[in-house]
Amino acid sequence: MTGEEPRLKALMIRGLDGDGSAHGQLLSAMSGFLRAYFFRRLGPASADAEDLVQETLLAIHLKRDAYDHRQPFTPWAYAVARYKLLDHFRRLRTRHTVPIDDAGDLFTQENPEEGAVRHDIAKLLSSLSPRQRSLLTDVKLAGLSMGEAARRGDMSVTAAKVGVHRSMKRLARKVGDEHR
Amino acid sequence: MNTAELIARLAADAAPPRRGGVARRLAPPILAGGAVAAAILMLWLGLRPLASASQTGAFWMKAVYTLAIACAGMTLMERLGRPGRPVGSAPLIAVIPPAALGLIAMIELMRAGGSQTTELWLGQTWKVCSLRIVVIAGPIFIGAVLALRRLAPTRLAAAGAAAGLFAGGAGASLYGLYCEETAAPFVLAWYSLGIALCAGIGALSGPRLLRW
Repeated sequence: MTGEEPRLKALMIRGLDGDGSAHGQLLSAMSGFLRAYFFRRLGPASADAEDLVQETLLAIHLKRDAYDHRQPFTPWAYAVARYKLLDHFRRLRTRHTVPIDDAGDLFTQENPEEGAVRHDIAKLLSSLSPRQRSLLTDVKLAGLSMGEAARRGDMSVTAAKVGVHRSMKRLARKVGDEHR
Repeated sequence: MNTAELIARLAADAAPPRRGGVARRLAPPILAGGAVAAAILMLWLGLRPLASASQTGAFWMKAVYTLAIACAGMTLMERLGRPGRPVGSAPLIAVIPPAALGLIAMIELMRAGGSQTTELWLGQTWKVCSLRIVVIAGPIFIGAVLALRRLAPTRLAAAGAAAGLFAGGAGASLYGLYCEETAAPFVLAWYSLGIALCAGIGALSGPRLLRW
């Protein structure tokens, strides 16, 4: 069981009783854990990670009445996240195995600082459009060349350069806003 | 839609889900499936004279056996339908009824002293028994799958097998209202085979039918 269990479980139960703000807090907290988890599993270059975060949040919401008050929350949430990850691999028709860990795998803070940075980056990236986001992760995080990234995104090299430049400016502005 | 917007929307939609627990969520499709299965049995095969049959031990032996398997299947469905719930040694409950019936069958075979061995194993209807059980279990299986889809199974093959086990047990219970076989070895072989077929079909189809 992880240290997050009591807090998250309390939020879940209040949410199930119809407390919208508790439900929102739960989903926000979960989005951080999920983002770190999916990035860890898919690599930071994956544009699918954020989609999976959203899909899992939606699943937690829609399937919350398949949660039993008597059962701990974190293993429940972990099982949902792991299921969504496996389903993602299944859709890609690739063979992957995801080790069956305990819920600690989702709620881990193996390197809190790294996790926090990754979280911040992911949060920033989520403000971009999916197209811009995958372009930027290809170039800046995965280290592809402009040419490669342009081919992957099905655009001209010039368009890719402009796109990356604009995205960086936009992120810089956003960071600036948050620090003010 | 970005993630923050999604969260805001979902939080605004936090009306408490329908109460009543699993039972109320699982029951309607399963009962509907059971009703269809019962109708198929009546129209297709009919019932044996139940007033006299229910006086016999063999009738109840079969009923207890198949109902126990149905209960085991239901228990496993409920566990596998909830994410993150350890299943542990729960599948063992599906082994207890056949083990118990195996003992009874052994006693019956020993008492008969080898003179009726073939009869005790094959009865009159061994060729059709298992497949009839599968047919009658069909609608119950569909109901069980619909019920499971309302939960959130994460191990789809196992959950499908549990649904098949439940449907097989319930279907065999219904079939027992028609079938006049009374020997424990017969039930052990052919009822169990029908139920196992249902569980196998469930395990194979689970990953397709139960995705969410």
